[in-house]
Amino acid sequence: MTDVGGTPVLREPANRVSPRAIPFWTVSALVGDAVLVVAAVLVWLLVPGVPGWAGLLVLLLAVAAVAHVVLMPRVRYRVHRWEVTDTAVHTREGWIGRETRIAPISRVQTVDSRQGALMRLFGLASITVTTASAAGPITVDCLDAATAREVVARLTAITAATEGDAT
Amino acid sequence: MIPEPGEGYVRLSPRKLLLDPVKAVGQMVVPLVIALVGISRSDTQFWPIILPLVVIGPLVLGALPWLTTHYRLTGTQIQVRSGVLNKTTSTAPLDRVRSVDLEASLMHRILGLQKVQIGTGVDDDRITLDALAAADAQALRTTLLTRRAVAEQQAVAAAGAVGHAAVGPTDLPDGLSPERPAGPATPSPPLSPPPVAPAVPLARIDWSWLRFAPFSLGRLVLVFGGLGVLSQFADDLPIWNQETATSAWHWLTQFAVAAIVVVLSVGALALWLVISVAGYVLQWWGFRLVREHGSLHLTSGLVTTRSITVEEAKVRGVEMTEPVLMRLVGGAELSTLATGVENGVTQVLPPCPRGVAVAVGEAVLERPGPLTGRLVEHGPRARRRAWFRQVRHALDAVVLLAVGWWWFDLTWWWLAAIGTALLALAAVAGQAQYRHLGHALAGDHLVAGSGTFARIRTVLETDGIIGWVVSQTWWQRRAGLADLTATTAAGTERVLVRDVRLDVAVALADRATPGLLSDFVGPAHGTA
Repeated sequence: MTDVGGTPVLREPANRVSPRAIPFWTVSALVGDAVLVVAAVLVWLLVPGVPGWAGLLVLLLAVAAVAHVVLMPRVRYRVHRWEVTDTAVHTREGWIGRETRIAPISRVQTVDSRQGALMRLFGLASITVTTASAAGPITVDCLDAATAREVVARLTAITAATEGDAT
Repeated sequence: MIPEPGEGYVRLSPRKLLLDPVKAVGQMVVPLVIALVGISRSDTQFWPIILPLVVIGPLVLGALPWLTTHYRLTGTQIQVRSGVLNKTTSTAPLDRVRSVDLEASLMHRILGLQKVQIGTGVDDDRITLDALAAADAQALRTTLLTRRAVAEQQAVAAAGAVGHAAVGPTDLPDGLSPERPAGPATPSPPLSPPPVAPAVPLARIDWSWLRFAPFSLGRLVLVFGGLGVLSQFADDLPIWNQETATSAWHWLTQFAVAAIVVVLSVGALALWLVISVAGYVLQWWGFRLVREHGSLHLTSGLVTTRSITVEEAKVRGVEMTEPVLMRLVGGAELSTLATGVENGVTQVLPPCPRGVAVAVGEAVLERPGPLTGRLVEHGPRARRRAWFRQVRHALDAVVLLAVGWWWFDLTWWWLAAIGTALLALAAVAGQAQYRHLGHALAGDHLVAGSGTFARIRTVLETDGIIGWVVSQTWWQRRAGLADLTATTAAGTERVLVRDVRLDVAVALADRATPGLLSDFVGPAHGTA
């Protein structure tokens, strides 16, 4: 291994997402997990002659769901970060794994913002920046709606000023 | 009489009128036969109505596209109008033309036609002209490619002339005057030399390469696909029922089972030899790869001829694949990774000796080394990850099998044997995967080694990198490893460097695209 002047470290992006992302992720996780747990419980109660260990499985599933609903949003809030400089977009996301994405603004092709019904309830919006590569879209999840508008306006202004076909 | 399209628009070849009805009949033959059978059973009084429909329908359907499709070439654009009720006009600026592909099926060739497909840099947006007379198609291809070269040369000249004397609009070559009808571009004397550089041959078919055909298993998929289709029909055949099966089995077991197995495998091998060699000959007959007008130009095919042209400025890299069987005999395959081509990956060489693939790859990349140079190894932790990944896949399979065994109540000895074999295979696969793993930065090219049984080496121009993704699973974080993905518009749109140490990944990305990461790379920490 060649170490060039010590070990370079990718510093984390500057900004956190909106704190309202925690209740938003909690609610959306709750909805999804509740459906799953209720379905499992119903199967356990209604199907005749299920073996005893099936109850244990359902219990484990419920515990996992509670842990997911409680822990995931908090861990995710700590991990999710974003930054838009004059030259690049940089994000980090994930909660068990980590994913860091960087794209130069000169190669950005489209800037979309998206706001689902539940997101609107919490005043949140997501921004997706795409480049010419199918592997390269960068999503900044759960920004404050006002911040999202600002960032989109800024990105659009910068990309409009750059030339070339961005491939 | 049919009105001429006017405004400089030209129709496709009239011989298309012979081509399309045949194609239409081919597509409609199954429903037609079903309809005819159904009708003939019911009543005969409808025949006078049905028969003319059956005959005239394809003719009309075939004639409509010819009547309604026109194209024209102006000084700056190629425009195609088509459609009966919904008129669509596709327009492509000539300087955006990235590739011009010609293709001719057997029918096309009998009629002296060719299908022209024009790629314009936008992913799936290709302009198709089906079909032109072969000579017209060739002329159109040459025109489009030289026109582009002229436009580029003119741009360069204009940039160079800023210091000397401004190039007035009167100095423009004739070919660039707007709204000029189709025809080969003729650069005017002031802008010499002519842009048509002599074609440089890069490779041509060498029939000793035929020895690689049986070792290239790509065609095996087609064979199995064909067998699958046949088996659909086999179900309906009367011979295949329980009774005949058992009697056939009794008949078979009278002979030595071993002998039958040997005969069957020899037969399958012989069949495979014939299929693979025939397929190779059909696909690569008359193969030629040349470089002309700043493009790579490939022609090949015995029955269906293909002619593929890719602008070299859009070729961002190459990928050399050595499948496991081909490695035994020293063979390799080569593809270019380009932007603006239908699927980005174009196989530019038939299975051929590794040396030829390397030489052509280096000629395309215009630098020696990336395909043969040593790769930086990813270390023991990456090796452990490769092993772990393969063993986990094997364990998954074993668990599934175990469930099946439990369900059908089979002998556990067999499961143990299969499980052991799978785990041994996984260990071999893990080791192989690690040996193919690696990365390098060769000048302005990012090189990534990958593949489990096949050895794949991907070379991507760093100019073509339009972003980075560093992803870590929980296991990778524990090991301090990461998957580094260079995103690009070329080829499969990503180049993956797997299981590389996180700091090495960051350093590699930083060196490959100087400046992009500098805002985000912090000072060296002791803890990483």
